[in-house]
Amino acid sequence: MALAVGTTRQTITSIETGKYIASLPLAYKIAHYFGLQIEEVFDLSEYLREGGD
Amino acid sequence: MEKYKSHLRLRRNILVCFALLAAATGLFDVFFAPEAVRDNAVFEFQLGLIHGAGILSLLWAVRDTRSLRSEAALRLAYNRENDERMKAIRARAGMPMLLISSAIILLAAMVAGCFSAAVFYTLVAVAAGQLTLGAAVKFFYMKKL
Repeated sequence: MALAVGTTRQTITSIETGKYIASLPLAYKIAHYFGLQIEEVFDLSEYLREGGD
Repeated sequence: MEKYKSHLRLRRNILVCFALLAAATGLFDVFFAPEAVRDNAVFEFQLGLIHGAGILSLLWAVRDTRSLRSEAALRLAYNRENDERMKAIRARAGMPMLLISSAIILLAAMVAGCFSAAVFYTLVAVAAGQLTLGAAVKFFYMKKL
């Protein structure tokens, strides 16, 4: 998947573990890879509740 | 991807030219440099720096050549160079300005070394400290992000 969306395996792992938040273009590419909407793949409601960094 | 391919070819050719130049300079320094110049810490430092840079250039040229051989390797190389997480990590570690300023400090050290050994060693220590700090920050953020 990393190869398909134009990033590295380490970045995908960081996104999955929540250590790194993908940029909008990357999030769009990942969602498009799965054939889903961004909101269906990424859940940032906790981040919004905390008010972000 | 064609644009990246031509960029890689250009970079590989420049690296090979630099490696050959480093080899020629190294050979000249070893066999033809005057005796009065050789027994000098600055001269030895310059020789080591040129040899190290030449070897690194050759290794990078080999890596770029391997990337150019197949589409999959090219794609992997492109992803590795344009990965947004690594770009963010490099930015936090102060790259590329840290590398540029360290190179300038090393050049200044080589020039100042012709006049004062204390200034030479101080500037080399500053450049080494700066590079070590940048590497430490980079490793920290590679673990954090």
